[in-house]
Amino acid sequence: MLIEEKEAEKILKRYKIPICISKICNSKKDVFSCKIEFPIVLKALSPKIIHKTDSGAVIVGIKNKTELRMAFEKFKKFGEINYLIQKQEEGKEIIIGMKRDAQFGPVILFGLGGVFVEVFKDVSFRIAPLSKKDIYEMINEIKAIKILKGFRGEKSVNLDKVSDILSKLSVLSLKEKHISEIDFNPVIVNETRAVVVDARLIKD
Amino acid sequence: MTLNNIMKPNSIALIGASRKVQSVGYGILKNLLTGCVFNTKYCKPYNGKVYAVNPNAKKVLGQKCYNSILDIKKKVDVAIIAIPAKFIPDTMKEIAKAGTKGVIIVSAGFGEEGEKGKKLQKEILRIAKKNKIRFVGPNCLGILRTSNNMNASFAPTMPPKGNIAFISQSGALADSVIDWAIESRYGFSTIISYGNKADLDAEDYLEWLANDKETKVITMYIEGVKDGKKFLRIAKKVCKKKPVIALKAGRGKAGTKAISSHTGSLAGSYKIYEAAFKQAGIIQADNVEELFDLGKALAEQPPLKKNSVAIVTNGGGCGVLTADYLEEFGVELAKLKKSTIKKLEDTGKMHPAYSARNPLDIVGDALPERYNVAVDTLISEPYIGGLIVLQTLQTMTDSVADAKVVVNAHNRYPNKPIICVYMGGKFSKVGMDYLEDHNIPDYNDPRKAARTMWALARIGRIL
Repeated sequence: MLIEEKEAEKILKRYKIPICISKICNSKKDVFSCKIEFPIVLKALSPKIIHKTDSGAVIVGIKNKTELRMAFEKFKKFGEINYLIQKQEEGKEIIIGMKRDAQFGPVILFGLGGVFVEVFKDVSFRIAPLSKKDIYEMINEIKAIKILKGFRGEKSVNLDKVSDILSKLSVLSLKEKHISEIDFNPVIVNETRAVVVDARLIKD
Repeated sequence: MTLNNIMKPNSIALIGASRKVQSVGYGILKNLLTGCVFNTKYCKPYNGKVYAVNPNAKKVLGQKCYNSILDIKKKVDVAIIAIPAKFIPDTMKEIAKAGTKGVIIVSAGFGEEGEKGKKLQKEILRIAKKNKIRFVGPNCLGILRTSNNMNASFAPTMPPKGNIAFISQSGALADSVIDWAIESRYGFSTIISYGNKADLDAEDYLEWLANDKETKVITMYIEGVKDGKKFLRIAKKVCKKKPVIALKAGRGKAGTKAISSHTGSLAGSYKIYEAAFKQAGIIQADNVEELFDLGKALAEQPPLKKNSVAIVTNGGGCGVLTADYLEEFGVELAKLKKSTIKKLEDTGKMHPAYSARNPLDIVGDALPERYNVAVDTLISEPYIGGLIVLQTLQTMTDSVADAKVVVNAHNRYPNKPIICVYMGGKFSKVGMDYLEDHNIPDYNDPRKAARTMWALARIGRIL
């Protein structure tokens, strides 16, 4: 069962996992009056929508009120919904997750997002609790690590911040035993920070 | 927790000793009394006391038969059970009364066989726990220990004695390995087929073998464990003491969920075991051959302490292949210093067309003296952590003398690994055998040598 947004946010805050600045509004009016600066991301929230991106429930790069109105038009098809507004984060997409295994307990996953995980399955796993060595190894093990470290003259993303999220997820999974699966997809990382932009927490 | 009474017993009772020559109960008794059913020079009688239990016979294979373990009235360290499953709960109660604390249950018909079997398995586990009895199996081949000539199993014969242990979740695989070991002169300290693991599981045997002075390296064939956290915790400790190499069968159950995450669908069982092995420090083998190649090499050679390996070869192509594989596995080639090249050239023994770099190609007409200069110079360099020495056979090649060069170099520098690829067959054999007899791993394929060096780097904790 999917843990609903507000509850999920509370849990993440409890473990100091950096999440994107966001607000949940239940009317268009509230969205317009929300103080989060453009550019923003708008997501449609409804118990019927499970995979937001697949359902067209995520619109990124909204730069002004005109584009915001266009986004509302697109969301008309969903009927009664709540809205999640997020500050648009810039950077590379990674995926971090957890699955509770019957034999080994919480297993943590790391990889680059998008085609890297969906097509190439270029991901690494380690079993919680994660030591510093485990975190270092699992980050450097993926083939796409060169992309995160910057190629063609780019600067590296902040891998310490990535390690931090992995470490905190490990702690969370060992403590919150009722949560069976977690997906942080995507986590946006850049030179300075790493922020969870979408989180799905599933409980038994 | 000690498994000494199961692994190193002074007295064994076989419950289910049988006169029927093709039965398990006959085979095990023969194995205990003579070492084997299929006879070889490695077969010797078990050096402790053997008691046969069979209420329906007076004697089997010359052994007096007792009606029950309770009639033996002397200390019995371990009982082997080879009777039909339905009678085993009562037998376990008798064993408990007799004061025996270790049992090997060879019989099938338990958890692997439907609801009735599962119930029986639960029952014997309950009786064991109540009486502080530990047991192997059920549904296993048994245990073989070469140091006390114990063949407490229905494996066809005994393997040669050595310092490698093999823990197997498949009895059939263990049987084939034993037969192969005789052909290959591959020595084992212990072979454990652990069956249904109703009580003792892989990590229990790992823990015992970690402290066994007969065992230098532990190899395993594993399908799954009951308690992954316990396995990981114990495996980590064991790997600090001696190398553990595992071959994992890729069996995973696909779980379907209505709501499933990315992580859920990617984190299949095999991947999770891979992660567990990495975290524990267990080296994962790709196939059966590699499992035992690595087992032997890691027992014979020291760990690689510097990620800087040199290749000496009298065939350029083989040298290049070796370099390719080392790179694939993350093992670095040493860059030869000018001072090293000078040392080589000052001897006057190098061919004018030698490669003067790593891989060091000393050219096809290399005689033992040139091999000696090359091997000795490179292995003595502090910046070089280990060597791979290849030999291909030309008209002038002296295979045995070349092998002696390697053995001497290893004796002078016992803390640096040397691995050989003496490629060939009929006429190189005498050199290959010499290497074999002096504990230098030798392969017919550069990839295996490179893989072994990778494993030695893992043991040396540099990879």
